Parts: sequence; C-alpha cells; structure tokens
Amino acid sequence: MAEPILSIEDLRVEFDRSEDKVYAVNGVSFQIDPGQALGIVGESGSGKSVTLMSALGLIRENGKVKSGVVQFEGKNLLKMSSRQLEDIRGREIGVIFQDPMTSLNPVMSIGDQIMETMLTHHYAGHREAFDRTIQLLHEMGIPDPKARFKNYPHEFSGGMRQRIMIAIALACEPQLLIADEPTTALDVTVQMQILALLQSQRERKNMSVAIITHDFGVATNFCDKIVVLYAGQVMEMADTSAFIQNPAHPYTLGLKNSIIEVGQRGRKLEPIPGMAPTLTEPPTSCSFADRCPFVTDRCREELPKLRSVESNHLVACHRAEEVLARAN
Amino acid sequence: MAIAVSQTRPVAVKKNRSQFYQSWKRFRKNYFAVGGLVWVAIFFIIGIIGPWIAPYSYTDADFLAMHAPPSAHHIFGTDQVGYDQFTQILYSVRYALEIALGATCVSFIIGIVLGLWAGLAGGIADMLIMRGVDFMFALPSFFFALILSVLLGKGLFPMILAIGVPGWAGYARLIRSLVLSMRNGEMVEAARALGASQTHIAARYMFPNVVGSMVVSLAFGIPADLTAQAGLSIVGMGLNPPMPSFGNMLANASSNILGFPWLLYFPASIFAITLLAFLFVADGLQEAFNPRGGM
Amino acid sequence: MFMLRFFAKRFVAIVFTLAAVIAISYIMMYESPGGFMSTSQVASALAPIAAQNPVLYQKVMEEFQQRYGLNLPLWRQCLQYVWHELTFNFGNSMQNPTQTITSQLKTALPISVILAFSSTALSVVIGIPMGVIAALKRNTWIDYTVTTLSMVGQAIPSFVLAVIFVLIFGVLWQNILPVTGWGTFSDAVLPVISLAAAPIGVVARYMRGSLIETMRQDFIRTAKSKGVKYWPLVLKHGVRNSMTALITVVGPQFAFTVVGTVLVENIFAIPGLGKVIGNAFPNFDFPMAITSVFILGAIMMITNLIVDLFYAWIDPRVKLQ
Repeated sequence: MAEPILSIEDLRVEFDRSEDKVYAVNGVSFQIDPGQALGIVGESGSGKSVTLMSALGLIRENGKVKSGVVQFEGKNLLKMSSRQLEDIRGREIGVIFQDPMTSLNPVMSIGDQIMETMLTHHYAGHREAFDRTIQLLHEMGIPDPKARFKNYPHEFSGGMRQRIMIAIALACEPQLLIADEPTTALDVTVQMQILALLQSQRERKNMSVAIITHDFGVATNFCDKIVVLYAGQVMEMADTSAFIQNPAHPYTLGLKNSIIEVGQRGRKLEPIPGMAPTLTEPPTSCSFADRCPFVTDRCREELPKLRSVESNHLVACHRAEEVLARAN
Repeated sequence: MAIAVSQTRPVAVKKNRSQFYQSWKRFRKNYFAVGGLVWVAIFFIIGIIGPWIAPYSYTDADFLAMHAPPSAHHIFGTDQVGYDQFTQILYSVRYALEIALGATCVSFIIGIVLGLWAGLAGGIADMLIMRGVDFMFALPSFFFALILSVLLGKGLFPMILAIGVPGWAGYARLIRSLVLSMRNGEMVEAARALGASQTHIAARYMFPNVVGSMVVSLAFGIPADLTAQAGLSIVGMGLNPPMPSFGNMLANASSNILGFPWLLYFPASIFAITLLAFLFVADGLQEAFNPRGGM
Repeated sequence: MFMLRFFAKRFVAIVFTLAAVIAISYIMMYESPGGFMSTSQVASALAPIAAQNPVLYQKVMEEFQQRYGLNLPLWRQCLQYVWHELTFNFGNSMQNPTQTITSQLKTALPISVILAFSSTALSVVIGIPMGVIAALKRNTWIDYTVTTLSMVGQAIPSFVLAVIFVLIFGVLWQNILPVTGWGTFSDAVLPVISLAAAPIGVVARYMRGSLIETMRQDFIRTAKSKGVKYWPLVLKHGVRNSMTALITVVGPQFAFTVVGTVLVENIFAIPGLGKVIGNAFPNFDFPMAITSVFILGAIMMITNLIVDLFYAWIDPRVKLQ
C-alpha cells in the first residue's frame, strides 16, 4: 500500500467569537491515498470545510489550529511558513469552491485568472501559459476558448464559471484537488455535468480528489471512500460500498434515508429531526445524542471513540452493532 | 383588533425607548463624539449669552487702539478699525448659529414638504420633484447660494434664505426614500400581515428609523451651513461689516496678516475646532443610529 | 457606439442643466435690488470713458443695450442671454466695459483648473495608499492615525485650512513657502494641500472600508488558494476591486474641490476664477459672475461625465444607461 498523499491526524480547530469560542474541528483524522476520491460528508457547520481549509491556511483570521498533524508528501502543512504554503497551494493542491458566482474576481478576465495560477508558480512562461489556458478551457468544455479568454466572469453562466474554477485549480496539474461543495450552487443538470467533468479529469491525470459535500448522493456516486463528519468529529469512515450496504452510525443511516436514489420513487423521505449543533465547549459525550433514535444514557455521558466494526470500517458510536443489525 | 393594539402598544413604546437608549449608549462610548458634543454645547451657550458677556458693542470701534495686540482692555486684540476681537467673536458665534440653524430649518422644511409630496403623490409630481433634485445636485449648492444672495441682498435673514433654500434637495430625497421604504418595506409588510395596526407600525418600526436618519442628516447639515456662510463671506457676499462673522474675520485677517497675527489666531482656531466638533458629533450619531451601515 | 450614445445623451442633459442655471441666474440678477444694468458699478466704470472718449462710450453703451436687449420682455432677454452664454459669446464685463469677459478669463481659468485637478490627483495618489495601509493594519495605531487624520481633513473646509496655513507660513515660519500670489511651483504648494486635505480624507476612508470589505470576498480566498502571494493578492485582487467603486466617490468630491478652489484663491490672493468671482459678485458685475459660474459648472459636469465613462471602462460589470 502506497503512502497516503494527505493524512490528517487529530486535527483541532477553534474559532474565537466576541463572546465565546466555537470548537469547529475536534480531533479529526483521515487519509487520502494517491488516486483516491474521498468524500467528506456532513451538514453545514459540521466542520467539513474547516478541516481541509485549515490545513491549507485558508480559514478566517479568528480561526486557530490548536493541535494536529497534516502530512502532505511527508511534510507537515501546519508547521509550514505562509510562504511555503503559498508554494503548495495551487501548485500541488488545487481548490474549487462552492459558489462560482462570487469565487471569481469580477474585474479580471477569466483567461488572466487561469494564467495567474501558472505564472505565480512559474509553472509555465507567458506564452505557454496562454496556450495551456486555451487548452484547459477547451478541455473544460468551454466553446470558442480563444474568444472567451478575454471575457469577464459575469459574462458566463454558473456552470461555465464552475468549469473555469476547475480550470484554475487544475492549471498546474496538482496531485490533490479539494472540491468544496463544487455543485451545491448549481442546477441539478449542471451538477451532473460538473461531476462528470471532475471524474474524467481525475482519471486522466490520476489525481487524488477530496470532495466536501452535504449531499450523500454526490459522495456515493463519485467517491471511493467516505468520511462522515458531525460536530467536528468523524462519525464514520469506510469504503463507499460499505456505506451503501452497512451504515453503522445512526447519523449515516439518517443521511442515507434523507436522500432520493434512482429507483426509489414513492419511498417516503425521512429527514433527520433537529439541527446540527454548534459546539461552544469541547464535546464530552456523543454530539448526535439529541437527534439519535438509538440514544441511551451511556451516549449522553461518554464520548464514543472511533473504533473498527469491520475491516476498513470505522465508526464512533456506542451502539454501532445494533445499527448494523437493524440496517441488515 | 383593538385588543391586539392595546396589548402590543406598551411593548412598542418600551422597544422604542430602548432603541434610542442603545443608540445613546453607543454614542457615549465614542469619546470624539462626546468631546464634540461638549464643545458644541459650549458654542451654543456662548451664542445665547454672548451679548451679555461682550465687553463692548460690536459697532464700538476703539479709534485709539487700532491693530492693538491682546491686552487687558482687548483680550483678543483689535483689528484695523479698532473693533474688539473678543466682542466680534462672541457675536460671530451668535450670528453663525442663527444663520446655520435658520438655514438648516429652511432646507429641512422645504425638503420635508417636497419629499413627502413626491413620495406620497408619486406620478408627475414625483417625477418633477426628483428632476429638481437632480438639477440641484448637478451643481454644488454653494453656487446657488451665491446667485440667490445677489437677489436677496445682505443681512441676517437674506443669508438664511440664500443658504437654506438651495439645500432642500438632499432632505427631499431622504424623506422621499423614507416614505417609499415605509410604504413598501418588508418589515412593515410583515407587521401588517401579522395584523399590526397602522399606528402600531408607525410607532414601532418607522419612527425610530425615520428619526435616526433625520437626526443624522441634520447633524451633517448644520456644519455644512456654517461652512457655506463663511464661504459666502470670503467671496464678499456675507454679512455686511460691522456685523461680525467668522468668514469676514478670516478673509479680512488673512489679507493683512503681517504684523497682526492675533486677528487670525482666535477666529481660525475657534472656527476650525467648532466644525470639527460638529462633525465628530454627526459622525458619532451616524454610527450610533446605524452601527453597521456606512463606512 | 453604445458609449457614443450614452455620451450624447448625457451631453444634452448637461447643456439643458447649464441653460437652466444661466436662465435662473439671469432672472435673479435682473430682479435684484437695483436691477441688471442700472448699477452704480457700470456708471462709475463708464464715467471716465464718457468724459474722455464719447465715441467709445457710445459704442460700449450700444453694445450693452443690444446684447442684453433690456427693452425686450424678460423671457426674450433670458433666451437671448442663455444662447449667448452657451455659444461662448460672453460679451464685456461691467467692471471693465471695454474688455471682453473671454480675454479676462483667459488667464484666470487655467489657474483654477490646475488647482482643482492637481489637488484631486494628489488626493488619489495619497489617499489610496493611506487607506490601503489602514485597512491592512486594521485596529493598530497606524489605522487609528489614518482614520483620525482623514476625519479631521474632512471636517475642516479647505479655506479654513488655507487660513491656518497663512498663519503658519505667513507668521510663524515666514519665507519657507509663499502665502500669496501665483506664478511659481512653490506658490501652488499650500493651496493644493489645503484643497487636497478633504478629498485625501474621503479617499482614504473610503478605500479603507472598501478594501476591508473586498478582502472578505470569496474571490480573495480563491486567489489565496491559487498560491498568489501577499502583495499581488492585495494589489491585483483587493485594491483593484476596491478602486472601481472609488471613482464614484472621487467624482462628486471634485465638485467640492471646485467650490474650495474658489474660496482658497481668495485667501491666498491667487488670480484665478475664484478671485474673479470674489470680485464680480460683490461688485454686481453680473455678466462676469454668471459666466464664471457657468464655466465652473460646465467643467464640473463634463468631468463627472468623463468619470462615469472611465468607470464603465475599468469595471466591466457597469452598464452605461
């Protein structure tokens, strides 16, 4: 088994607010193997974006990494100077964000924005960068790339802008692509196109991808492995097939029941009751207890540890066995 | 319905008071604004009691002490005619306040009438009034004041009109936009949907909002009119001597500065500090009423 | 093509606005105490000519009569006058009846234009870096200093600042910088600083707020994720975006600067258009007064139009209408 391309160990991130602290990430660990597509699934506020963004130094000023190790190619990203991180971002790790409407600079032509990635990292000279930009736009399925080079973001549709975002992220052929809710802001049909585009690019370049999404369906369709985050903690982590067949955490079960899958028409959707918590104190018991149909007194007293229930299947639940039994 | 109103009213009043109280608390924390307010208060007091504490009349020229430096007799010195500068400043404060307040009132009243008219009547009246607003904004109102002062002549009342009349456009636009936001505002819409009465809506939602915006715009208007008045004096369209004004003193003193610097020390510093104080107050009010908006 | 239509529409609007300003001014001055022509100013200015050169006197009088058509109904006079002004046919001034207004403005106008534009340019050149530094060093003493200075600069009108400069350089430290007159570069230093102080404050404060806001935008995070370094990030993405809207602030500010120029020229005894106004108005030299206001107004409005076109040019999202 090859070395993982990115491994996160016991990451903890806090945000200072005016009156209190938010414990956004509380001891998250997972790995991404070369060529693998990892899905990081959770509701908004579950810490899924913060986990990866803090590794890249892209969180807001009031956020602080309290502890943890993020190994990328054998180096700890958290120990790097901001200059060293700048060399990694965009060159070794590309990032795509959720909202293509606001994520592109409105007064810079899209061609310049794509070229900027390459020129910043001296990946290519001016001439080659231009040619490669045209090539990338073409690959992304943007018609007439030469003419569109000089256009500004507001002259494109949402889906087209997301394609441009992908071109920016892929410009320097990074080994890892982090896609933060890449399809959330788009129409359903466009979502599928963008995912297909990501998939084909990933296969062609043998690149690792981490998709951050709240959409369980996107994760199961696209990813090899899935991590479910809740209240800044890993709830369950397994290969996609295990998730589909044997969800071992009540939360995952809930996520699975709250989405529509092909061929399930007529089935009643069961939303998970309640809301995801915002932690203002470090968790001391199961954070999901208040919304959990399997809850027992133990869940309210003891913090469940991440443990193995099958091979390559980790879950943080005192009652994982019951959940597994019921799902089967 | 009536019952509902009587139930909600006390809450509304309490809420209003607390909204103003919140603003006052925010204002109080801004030391610049509080300092400005203290100076403005002193300025007002001087304006009111000036004639009683003035050692001379402003028309008394001491021919034996022309260009006299500050002394026990003339604590701020005298000018080339022998006018006591302390007296001149006391009266300048008074006239400056009379003109600035008067002009702001004139602008405000015209602005309210036209703004309400435009906002409520809509249609052609609205269009014509807003065209008028555009016209007034095309040139600085100082030029309109200048032209108007030719027609009206010099003196206290003409100056109030000359400065006040061209200043209506800003207030009219503000009032109109307040009227429109009141009529179509989402908050009002929601309140109405919940069954709140007209009076309740007015008291609870519109009043604090409207009062805040108006107080802020008036607070910026007064120092602007003080400035305009001094500006008119500098191009020779201000109060006629011997009626004292800051503008006259500044224009006069800077043209024969050599040897008589005291003619400039006092009016320049007092005028500058006063404008600064007014602006600190206005800025503080803006932040207090609208903590997130603005810059 | 689109640009051209926009320009044409705005230009027509400007001409109509100016025509209205001239008409209103004319009517007011016609109705003013003493009336348009029957002022002692003309009489006293013409008296020596009448004595020395009756032929010239006759000619000048006829010229005035014909130009203003004082025996015509007011609306005819008014239209005629507006037409004369808009076609730059200004006629003679009343204080110097034998000289055309154009010849008298020829020297005054460039001075005012230099003052107004150079102080506006200075305010941008100084205000932008000040605002940028304040935004980047937010809530430090640098920020507080810049913000306070900007506020003071905005609060004190240019002519009061000019007076303070007269006090400092005319009394305390004499012979460092001249406080009166016009002609050399050093003559312009104090007036330009007086005029630039307020716009510097406006630009700095605006730039600070705008840059802080911009740096919170998503596209800044995108640029960071591309590995863009700090200064390129701040300048190419942050400042570049904040600057587009800055133009909408500089435009109106220019109008204030023009008024300031008029007043500051009178304080520093600079023979510009402001000094002309300061002479014409109190002396009831109506043609001169109206013409000066007309010219300043035209400069302001044309400048604003150019600013709008420029805005559309640097911000691709702006649609002219």
